[in-house]
Amino acid sequence: MEFRYGLISSDSHGQLDKDAFTNRMSRAQWGDRIPRVIETREEKYAFPVERWIVDGEVQSGNVCNCPTAMPERGYYPQRWEEVPREVYDPAARARALDRDRIDAEVLFPNGPGGTYYQGGEAFELACVRAYNDALAEFRRASRRFIPLAITPFLSPIETIVAETRRAIAAGHGGINMLADPSHAVKGQKNLSDPYWHPLWSACEEMGVAVHLHASAGLAGKLALPQWKEFTRKQAHAVSTLRNFCTATQMIPYLIFSGVLEKFPRLKWVFAETGLGWVSSVLEACDYEWERRRLWTEGIKTRPSEQFRRQIYVDFWFETVGIELRELIGVDNIMWESDFPHITSTYPDSWKMVERSLAGVAPADREKVLFRNAARLYGLN
Amino acid sequence: MKYGFISADDHAQEHPQVWTSRLSKAKWGERIPQLREDSGGAQYWSVDGRRVDLPGVALAGAALDDRTRATRRWDEVPAAAYDPKERLKAMDRDGVDYSVLYPVVAGLAGETFAHIDDYDLELDCVRAYNDWLVEEWAAVSPRFVPQCIVPLWPAEAAVAEIRRAVAKGHKGVIYPASPMELRAVPHINDGAYDPIWAACEDLGVPLCFHSGASRKIQMAPGESFPPAAAAAFRDITRSVSSIAVFANFILSRILHRFSKLKVVFAESSLGWGAYEIEYADYQSAADGLPGEGYPLKPSELFARQCYFTCWYDRESVRVRRYLGAKNILWSTQFPLATSCWPESRARLAPALEHVPEDERRQMLWENAAKLYRLEM
Repeated sequence: MEFRYGLISSDSHGQLDKDAFTNRMSRAQWGDRIPRVIETREEKYAFPVERWIVDGEVQSGNVCNCPTAMPERGYYPQRWEEVPREVYDPAARARALDRDRIDAEVLFPNGPGGTYYQGGEAFELACVRAYNDALAEFRRASRRFIPLAITPFLSPIETIVAETRRAIAAGHGGINMLADPSHAVKGQKNLSDPYWHPLWSACEEMGVAVHLHASAGLAGKLALPQWKEFTRKQAHAVSTLRNFCTATQMIPYLIFSGVLEKFPRLKWVFAETGLGWVSSVLEACDYEWERRRLWTEGIKTRPSEQFRRQIYVDFWFETVGIELRELIGVDNIMWESDFPHITSTYPDSWKMVERSLAGVAPADREKVLFRNAARLYGLN
Repeated sequence: MKYGFISADDHAQEHPQVWTSRLSKAKWGERIPQLREDSGGAQYWSVDGRRVDLPGVALAGAALDDRTRATRRWDEVPAAAYDPKERLKAMDRDGVDYSVLYPVVAGLAGETFAHIDDYDLELDCVRAYNDWLVEEWAAVSPRFVPQCIVPLWPAEAAVAEIRRAVAKGHKGVIYPASPMELRAVPHINDGAYDPIWAACEDLGVPLCFHSGASRKIQMAPGESFPPAAAAAFRDITRSVSSIAVFANFILSRILHRFSKLKVVFAESSLGWGAYEIEYADYQSAADGLPGEGYPLKPSELFARQCYFTCWYDRESVRVRRYLGAKNILWSTQFPLATSCWPESRARLAPALEHVPEDERRQMLWENAAKLYRLEM
């Protein structure tokens, strides 16, 4: 792949078209449960609005999380016709990439979401397959898109692995996971459980990474109870600010559970969690590993070495982590735009890039801006 | 000062008679905090008849030969954990002038007695701890900086105990950062707690949120974790769990209402703090908070009133300017297993090499001395 701009977003959000599921799921079997966009009323709005509905549950507030793609930045669309084509149509989206001077982007979920486990095993699998097929269309349209497959958590591991293989064969560049499936899904196992080994094995073999995005399903758990007196914006700020708590605990989790040691070629990506905290967590892990002599308990490799071997972390607005990049691992850092979410740097991503990377030598710049991602996603 | 170092976070291990010698046996009987023995011969702490969540009878890993071992019986606990005279020797060995004290059995974050569903018993336990610390530790040496715990609720009860304890010599107030998870009380951001913050501000004593007040915000180690790795994981997740506490607190407006209140995030570590402060300013602006009654940026509020406490994460010293050298406290975490004792100074030295003298002084002792009004 030719790198025209020298910038890859390792975390953007791919919106599916409103008919993505209705076009693919059996109406006879699933009827009104199929994820789709419907017209409805919401108290706040005088006019009829449109919303995604999944298995009878309406996703209120907006019909698309794309405030930075809007002509009026910060506005959340209320009807599908307001949603810019750039967010859900591959050709238009490629033009948005050019506008922001980005070569390629990794696609995490947008509406109606990356998990469908509320509706039972068969329903979830049907939704997951439809989702994975729909998002793979981006890849078929252009190699500038690296879609990530989602996972059917209610299915047996054999089915999970089979769907993963199928999605990767269809063009997906990695998988999206929950940090703790046992928290989200009753009866499911946590990620340290040997239950997941066939999946790690398969991903390792196929050379695709496991991705954990922001709080990765633990937003409600790794949080103080939300204060009801916060306004919507204040609550959003508070919940965003603690998203990276998952990553600060998951990295030690993967290290001290022995999962990284058992699957040393399996890569993990922490998206939208930033960098500035990483070196301090690695220092804590190395410190505890030394103090308690954990190599005598099966954690043979130094934690920070495990990290450098297998884990990638993303940044977008910060300077702290860039300052500490040597302590994190320059080869482990990737840039992200988070398009089209409110926190995105679109369409002036290069301005933020220059601010974050002021004074950074060209070799390091290229690594964090695109070479590390190109290597991880096989774009060379 | 002999060593030029104040540890802003150490733990005083309560001995088996702290409460049994002070609470009325006639009134409370088996509910008094005390050591019990299980069928396997191991001892454990019991409060209000329920087992306290501690690995063993004490947290004294740093003073043991094998830091991975939990102490199963009281006679295994090193004296430096619970005997103030031995503690002074341990402080000398590590080059510590003053030590600011947090509990163990009463909760690393002072949260244990909040679980008691009986105001009278809770208050008696709290008062006994506060009396013990002053009578048996602070009385031995001014090098010990005692801090009080308080009854969780109502605010008036906490205020009464704060005033009583400070009059007895306590220099800081420990409060669990998530009271609404311990009992059915209002959210910590609620104005109902204002008398507590006002009392601290009024008396000029810092309010201290030690990590670990809420177990929920820590991931649990899986069953396949080797035991010592699980213990390591719990210690690491405890300190980073303060991220969730801080995210709420910095936008809670408590600091707006009490602009002179000093707030310490104990056992927070430093590294995530620099990132969180930069992120808080960014996100606060992105979400339009200045237009919603937030005239000061999170970084400005933090600089004005807050402190993070470090011990192992020396590399983060490089990014101290995001927090401010005057907002950083150093600590030894003695005698927890995670402590750098007895090499705290040696471990820290390389990180301080290129730090200007005034900033080094601030982080090592001056900030703490001012905060706790220690007479030098």
